[in-house]
Amino acid sequence: MKVEDVVCPFCGCLCDDLVVEVEGTRVVSVENGCTLANEKFLGDNRLTSPIRRAGGAWQQVSYEEAIEETAAILLDADRPLLYGWSGTHGEAQSIGVHLGELLGALIDNTSTVCHGPSIMAIQEVGHPGCTLGQVKNRADVVVYWGTNPIDAHPRHMSRYTTFADGFFLTDAFLERKVIVVDVRKSESANIADEFVKIEPGGDYAVLAALRAIVRGKRSLIPSFVSGVSREQLFRVADTLLGAKFGAIFFGLGLTMSRGRYKNVRNAIELTAELNRHTKWTISPMRGHWNVYGSNEVFTWISGYPYAVDFARGIAFYNPGETTSVDVLRRGECDACLVVASDPGAHFPRACAEHLARIPTVQIDPHVNATTHLARLQIPVAVTGIDAEGTAYRMDGVPIRTRKLFTGRYPSDTDVLMKIYDRVKEEKGHG
Amino acid sequence: MRVILETKPRKKPKIPIEAEAIIPQNFLLKNDIRVYEGNKERTLDEIFYVTTEGPAVSADQVEIVLSGETGVIKRVGEYMNAGRIVIEGDIGMHCGNFMSAGEIIIRGNADAWLGREMRGGVIRCEGNADHYCGAGYRGEKRGMRGGTIEVLGNAGDFTAEYLSGGEVRIMGDCGDLPGVEMRGGTLIIGGDCHRPCGNMTGGTCMVFGTARALLPTFVNAGSEEREFCGQRVEMNVFRGDVANRGKGTLFVRKK
Ligand code: SF4
Repeated sequence: MKVEDVVCPFCGCLCDDLVVEVEGTRVVSVENGCTLANEKFLGDNRLTSPIRRAGGAWQQVSYEEAIEETAAILLDADRPLLYGWSGTHGEAQSIGVHLGELLGALIDNTSTVCHGPSIMAIQEVGHPGCTLGQVKNRADVVVYWGTNPIDAHPRHMSRYTTFADGFFLTDAFLERKVIVVDVRKSESANIADEFVKIEPGGDYAVLAALRAIVRGKRSLIPSFVSGVSREQLFRVADTLLGAKFGAIFFGLGLTMSRGRYKNVRNAIELTAELNRHTKWTISPMRGHWNVYGSNEVFTWISGYPYAVDFARGIAFYNPGETTSVDVLRRGECDACLVVASDPGAHFPRACAEHLARIPTVQIDPHVNATTHLARLQIPVAVTGIDAEGTAYRMDGVPIRTRKLFTGRYPSDTDVLMKIYDRVKEEKGHG
Repeated sequence: MRVILETKPRKKPKIPIEAEAIIPQNFLLKNDIRVYEGNKERTLDEIFYVTTEGPAVSADQVEIVLSGETGVIKRVGEYMNAGRIVIEGDIGMHCGNFMSAGEIIIRGNADAWLGREMRGGVIRCEGNADHYCGAGYRGEKRGMRGGTIEVLGNAGDFTAEYLSGGEVRIMGDCGDLPGVEMRGGTLIIGGDCHRPCGNMTGGTCMVFGTARALLPTFVNAGSEEREFCGQRVEMNVFRGDVANRGKGTLFVRKK
């Protein structure tokens, strides 16, 4: 059976034009997807049942036992951490936040290691953003800053920028100007009209210089700023000022290099300054599929987008203090539930070591690096393949994903709801 | 009155304790003082051996002495308005949040957000202070507004972010972006730092060591002498940050 208009469950582009062929409970082919999408649909080696570590080996357990044990571990903890959430649907994320509140836990999503600093900058100075549709139809200048879409978001350029014709740009490849700013010449830089090579850690200074140029202070700019010549800075500033509609996309090169949220803030303030002259927007290249959704869902319920600490019964948020990398590095947490992400692969070593010391439970369809740190793993259906739910695209547009077939796995929602009910019963609210 | 709080051994010593109730005025009023250990509420004597010596008729006469494993205790001295707190070792995050008067002495190191949004009084840290010393809470437009913070050692990144009033004096080095977004008050750095005063709109910062990676958006405005530790020092004067309408002043020691 061929299913059309399938939403890709991998990156923040959430491409919704895939054609997927299914035989029984197996995906056999994918059309329109990039290599990342193909791998996600076809390289699907699932864990067959919940497993528990017993001495040096793994032992299969039933879903009921695994759920019971997870609830007991979380109830026993004084500082439990509920981490992940970006690979699942909003409905499951919502149960997660309610579970966090009930337990007095700390709940955090993968923004903590990606665009958390972007959110912090937005909280300081706002967000002049727009949808990807606006960019596709209007943007005549596009800047990719500290991001390499060809590798990380392979269809971003073909669906929305360089290779995508839009309403006001009928020959996008010729009409759109693309500027890539990075510390190395990436594949995306190879197809850009202008490549700006910055010394590592120099983004803040270059953004500050561009702001000053746009404010008319050209005479103050030294001959080189973080490896970029004054002439190139002037040329780039003129291109930005000459745009009819400009769009800046930025990635982890900006959020995770020295200065972090201050780099993003400077980029937002450059955008604001450009808006005195013409129309400019700025958007983060969100990576992990529904990470934007996890920020939305956390915010609706708790008021904060990530790193929410319910220890005192009310929500408290302070990145650096309540972010999971920081609490794990300090060895604060005494239990952890990982849902739909892989901190074992993404977190610094000290954090992974702490996860291995404490009882860590993982809810995830696949064996991954976190499995090796966990005591218990509960396999679930993959949202967008055999589970349905709502996810947010990187520009904040919610998209409903469908089930391609009904398999034998429960969804994240099913498992989390059972854990929530069990905790509620123990807490006497049952 | 002297209140001595010595930490008791705990089963999970790394779980932070939130203790905003540890301020002189609460001991004067003999309030039922509670603290939090992770998600559990505890009485003061579950966490500390408590000894009280002598009387007091006002909060000014109350001195609290904290000793033991105090490096994980957060929010000590929050909203303090009189009296004195002495910490014999290290102290956890947010020590002296919003304090308006009184004195806090830290013999060891202070964790991040020391004197966050402080309004008045004095904090003296004899060791190092971590990131965001004298800064504000996330998204706040103003950090410390009054009073004095003195750190005899080094300080971390984003020291005095959004500083709006009062004085932050770091005798050693600072990390990245000290005085970022600062809009008033005085920041003094005895040692070296990196990218001081990014996006500052007001206030004065003086760097008596080396300012590395000075931002291109500061305009040289001559030189002046300033005094530091009893010595006259020749300083370059910069105005900025001209990435905005910057009316701040940055002094950097002449080589
Ligand atoms: S670009 Fe992203 S969403 Fe689109 S097909 Fe590739 S992995 Fe999937």
